[in-house]
Amino acid sequence: MKKLTKETLDACRSESQRKRGNWIKVGMSTCGIAAGAGDVFAILQNEAQKRNLDIRIEKCGCAGMCYAEPLVEVYVEGMPQVVYGDVDKETALAIIDKHISGKRLLNDHIYNVKVDRS
Amino acid sequence: MTMGYKKIVLLKDTGSTGRTKEFYNLFLEQCRLENLQDDVQIVRVADIGMYDKGIVVRIIPGDITYAGVTEAHIQKIIQQTLKNNKPVKELLFTRASKQMRVVLKSCGEIDPENIKDYIACDGYQALKTMLAKSSSEDVINELKTSGLRGRGGGGFPTWMKWKFARQIEADQKYIICNADEGDPGAYMDRSVLEGDPHSVVEGMIIAGYAVGATKGFVYVRAEYELAIERVEKTIEQAREYGLLGEHILGSDFSFDLEIRLGAGAFVCGEETALIASIEGKRGYPSPRPPYPSVKGLWGKPTVINNVETLATVPVILRKGGAWFASIGSENAKGTKVFALTGKVKNSGLIEVPMGITLREIVFDIGGGMLNGKKIKAVQTGGPSGGVIPEHLLDTPVDYENLQKLGSIMGSGGMIVMDEDDCMVDIAKFYLKFCVDESCGKCAPCRIGGFQMLGYLNKISEGKAGEDDIELLERICNASKKASLCGLGQTSPNPVLSTLKYFREEYLEHIRDRKCRARKCVDLLTYHIGQEKCKRCSICMRNCPVNAISGDKQQGFLIDVNKCVKCGKCFDVCKFDAIIRE
Amino acid sequence: MIQAKINGIDIKVKEGTSILDAAKKVNINIPTLCKHPDLDATAACGICIVKVKGGNKMLRSCCTPLEKGMDIITHDDELQEARRTVIQLILSNHPNDCLQCARNNNCELQRLAADFGIRTVAFPHVAKELPQDSSSKTINLVPDKCILCGRCVQVCQQMQDVWALSFLERGFQTRISPAGDINLSESPCVRCGQCSAHCPTGAIAEFDQTPEVWKALYDPNKYCVVQIAPAVRVAIGEAFGYPEGANLTGKLYAALRRLGFKAVFDTSFAADLTVMEEAAEFVQRFAHGKGVLPLITSCCPAWVDFMEKFYPDMVKHFSSAKSPHEMLGVLSKTYYAQQNAIDPATIYMVSIMPCTAKKYEIQRSEEMYASGYPDINVSLTTRELARMIKQSGIDFMHLPEAQPDHVLGEYTGAGVIFGATGGVMEAALRTAHYMVTGTDADKVDFENVRGLKGVKETEVNIKGNKIKIAIAHGLENVEYVLRRVQKAIAEKTELPYHFIEVMACPGGCVGGGGQPYGATDKLRVARAHGLYKEDDDKELQYSHHNPYIKKVYKEFLEKPLSEKSHKLLHTHYTGRPLYKK
Repeated sequence: MKKLTKETLDACRSESQRKRGNWIKVGMSTCGIAAGAGDVFAILQNEAQKRNLDIRIEKCGCAGMCYAEPLVEVYVEGMPQVVYGDVDKETALAIIDKHISGKRLLNDHIYNVKVDRS
Repeated sequence: MTMGYKKIVLLKDTGSTGRTKEFYNLFLEQCRLENLQDDVQIVRVADIGMYDKGIVVRIIPGDITYAGVTEAHIQKIIQQTLKNNKPVKELLFTRASKQMRVVLKSCGEIDPENIKDYIACDGYQALKTMLAKSSSEDVINELKTSGLRGRGGGGFPTWMKWKFARQIEADQKYIICNADEGDPGAYMDRSVLEGDPHSVVEGMIIAGYAVGATKGFVYVRAEYELAIERVEKTIEQAREYGLLGEHILGSDFSFDLEIRLGAGAFVCGEETALIASIEGKRGYPSPRPPYPSVKGLWGKPTVINNVETLATVPVILRKGGAWFASIGSENAKGTKVFALTGKVKNSGLIEVPMGITLREIVFDIGGGMLNGKKIKAVQTGGPSGGVIPEHLLDTPVDYENLQKLGSIMGSGGMIVMDEDDCMVDIAKFYLKFCVDESCGKCAPCRIGGFQMLGYLNKISEGKAGEDDIELLERICNASKKASLCGLGQTSPNPVLSTLKYFREEYLEHIRDRKCRARKCVDLLTYHIGQEKCKRCSICMRNCPVNAISGDKQQGFLIDVNKCVKCGKCFDVCKFDAIIRE
Repeated sequence: MIQAKINGIDIKVKEGTSILDAAKKVNINIPTLCKHPDLDATAACGICIVKVKGGNKMLRSCCTPLEKGMDIITHDDELQEARRTVIQLILSNHPNDCLQCARNNNCELQRLAADFGIRTVAFPHVAKELPQDSSSKTINLVPDKCILCGRCVQVCQQMQDVWALSFLERGFQTRISPAGDINLSESPCVRCGQCSAHCPTGAIAEFDQTPEVWKALYDPNKYCVVQIAPAVRVAIGEAFGYPEGANLTGKLYAALRRLGFKAVFDTSFAADLTVMEEAAEFVQRFAHGKGVLPLITSCCPAWVDFMEKFYPDMVKHFSSAKSPHEMLGVLSKTYYAQQNAIDPATIYMVSIMPCTAKKYEIQRSEEMYASGYPDINVSLTTRELARMIKQSGIDFMHLPEAQPDHVLGEYTGAGVIFGATGGVMEAALRTAHYMVTGTDADKVDFENVRGLKGVKETEVNIKGNKIKIAIAHGLENVEYVLRRVQKAIAEKTELPYHFIEVMACPGGCVGGGGQPYGATDKLRVARAHGLYKEDDDKELQYSHHNPYIKKVYKEFLEKPLSEKSHKLLHTHYTGRPLYKK
């Protein structure tokens, strides 16, 4: 990596912002990991690979809703951005099956739905 | 269009009736009747961000929210909104979150281990602009305008610390990030370091530029393994990208960071003890003045800021001090992160504008009380803070207000208590923490704390007299006045504030030998309510000390002299026949 | 200058003066248990609190500098109540067995409790029950009596740079102990006893050997003889109400005779003898190139121990001459015994020293038994002797003066100034000058070597030869001097010094660890003055002019550095490094 300068920082920013496509983020801070986010992350990664899904699985920090950890946020193009909570192995699989493949939201696990109001 | 449905209906019963499922079935059924099942998905959600508003329905797209919905409204919603995209005006509700995420904005959004995620969210923009355009004085002035005060608990204006350190001429100055978070139930710093570590690093670089320091230390407690790992990665990446080290972003400014691990002594969060610890000495506080900004680490001017404070700095520079100052209340600017825990439904990390009331925090953000119990008090400020009783929950949260109530803002621990919490027990818990964590240097804290705990134990055991409260208060006052550091000066706060607001409860323990919250084991007695007892003998079979005797003909009795009050019988009885008082 | 008010009294002090010191200037004593004039304020006890008029925060006067315009209140209801509570808290965790305590009648805590009229302690008594440590046979640690003021730790770590004592554990369990919880004899302790001299209570005291001496004195088969060190005569008076620095040599001789000693010698005689040997050694190394330079004095046993442990590479620079009291010890059991036809086996030699390390020195190697017997049987401190005199009913104040016994009791001014820092150097230079030139120096006094500056460096001209010398006292000052020497040796550059005197205790032996309590720089100067005055008053001020020294050489030792004197008066040193790099 070439060191950034005042001039090249903005280019790096634009390039980094250009990430598109579907993604899943798993809350992998201490609160999430303690609640089992590590397993959830592994399952999601395995399944995505197994099924050859075009989706990025990423880690993120604590979103604050520690009572509902593990949290999994899902973005599939054309669908609202959804935060699932209390995600265990079964729910993780259901997210892949129903949400990502079936384009259906899951019952009883949604903690937030983020809508682009613009 | 890849979306499975044209419309999504999110619903939840936010009241206490818990009819989400019934309502869902009803809604589903009626949609089916209207033949909408392929266009509309009805979803039961676990949380809809609103509490005590009856049944809430949210419709996407359009993001229409209805509150107080009943079965009678279903048809109207289907006909008007789902079929014709018209809102049902009488049900409309404007959702407004009382949270305001400034410091936590990227926490939970970005991948903390990927510097590009941070850069994509305007990371290091503040640094870039500063290096290009601002003098160190400008930076300090911007902070002054922002009104930012230390988020670690002290509330000292951040710009002043920086200014003092800037004014001193020295061949070396240091920036220290205090991440020795230790209050029970508080984990704001950990979350920021784990979720958005680059913001802290950027804040430190800016601080270094403002005061003329070229070296910084992140002092993290060793138990925060993940935070340490992430900060290590962060420093590595920042170095790789030219954001740490020589000639940052190609400028003349150089600054580098190292991590120092704390061995877990609570007192090392006190800045002078922290410095001693970094220097490799016993973590003892030393007298101030000289303040660290004048004479700190290895005798050099040193700025010590808390994690949250430092993470706030880049946003302030990016959006302007005036913007930050426009948030919050008259006395306190900006937002504050709290770790909301205890008997509240949604325990977690919240960020709110200063000046919000405790009641709003507990009920509008926290979702209200767990199990529908009555709220008794909120504890703020950890072991240095105090309890704030229910009738004062409408006080706007800021440094001075909380202090007036006998508590403190502290680093952001906020523990909600209900009627099952005994105030003597709470005071005992916090004091015990301080007694264990006292460094032992100064007599009022070392011996005073120990003696205070002795009196509290006596009270909770029902062995105290009323004059013991006087002695307890006497030591509290001496410790407050004569202790060297914040730990000893504030450790009496939990005792004093519970005495102030719940003196009656202390007196009940002393006079009536009663603990109304049934927490103080020594004051409890167990016996069997014969009218409810079905003589199943499960209590007798489970009693670990054979204190229960009897048979299925005669019934059962608890021998109070043998009973060790473990509560086993109470827990196993299926008929609520064990009476605990 | 800072202008302010204390208790309404206008005051002007130098900037940086603590409130505590400023108050003293207007005759206000603010009580404290931890602040010692020799040491930086640690602010451990919490008793010296004061407040600023109008403010509600208490300041610790020991460590808070007086600021311009401050209006300080040192005594009022609230302050006294807080102090009284803190004192009672300390007493609640103190054995309070004053009658059996080494510091009975001389304890700062006892005095404070008396001044505050503490008649009862409101809080329950909690004993510490920690084991004593007498392992070093020189210094007794009684951690039960420790109030954790931290003076000993500061003395050991900063003033003496030994790092034997430290705090262990934390909170209520905090205690002083050698680091690693080993006992004192296994620790780096060099037995200087400065910890005991600074301890406000009976937690650290000399290892009391008066019972052995009483036993010997009452034993008809023992021929008890005694010697007193130079520094003892100018300090013992403090125990009997004499003014500071009063020289009580004659009364001491008389008191010792009354105690039952059959012969009373003076270590100052042996100091003259040491000068002869050491000056000869210096001349041999300096003028004749036999042996390495610089020559370093070795009469201080704590220093010897320190050097062997911390600077083993410098061992060959030590003067091989034994310390004066060891020389006198061996002569008493050889020369004196022969001259007076006494069986040396029956001679019981007691040294009265200002020093705790001498208790250790008398057994430090086989060479301390050069007479075939223990050259010294017991070494007592000044404090122990004062107790013996009081116990024996001797009216010290009104005793007529007495004379010492010949031959080992007559001394010159050069011998008696051994007790002050720079004294050994000055005495040796006087004789070295004579040895090199054959004439006495024009001026007797070498003013540059006197005084309390930590390191004194100067040059002396003897017959065109520039002799560069350094004098260090207080072990913290050794590092500077020895590092310079090590550097010059390593880099093969010109030596910074030819002759170095080191005394472990600040001020030299007058400030010894076995001297009466309460030494401050003012007192050290007064004691040294007592010695320099005797030097001035003495007819003979050069060791080589002492007729009895000449007599001993003529009748017994032949000449300085003779084979016999090597056998009896010289010793070896062994490097015993504690730490590997």
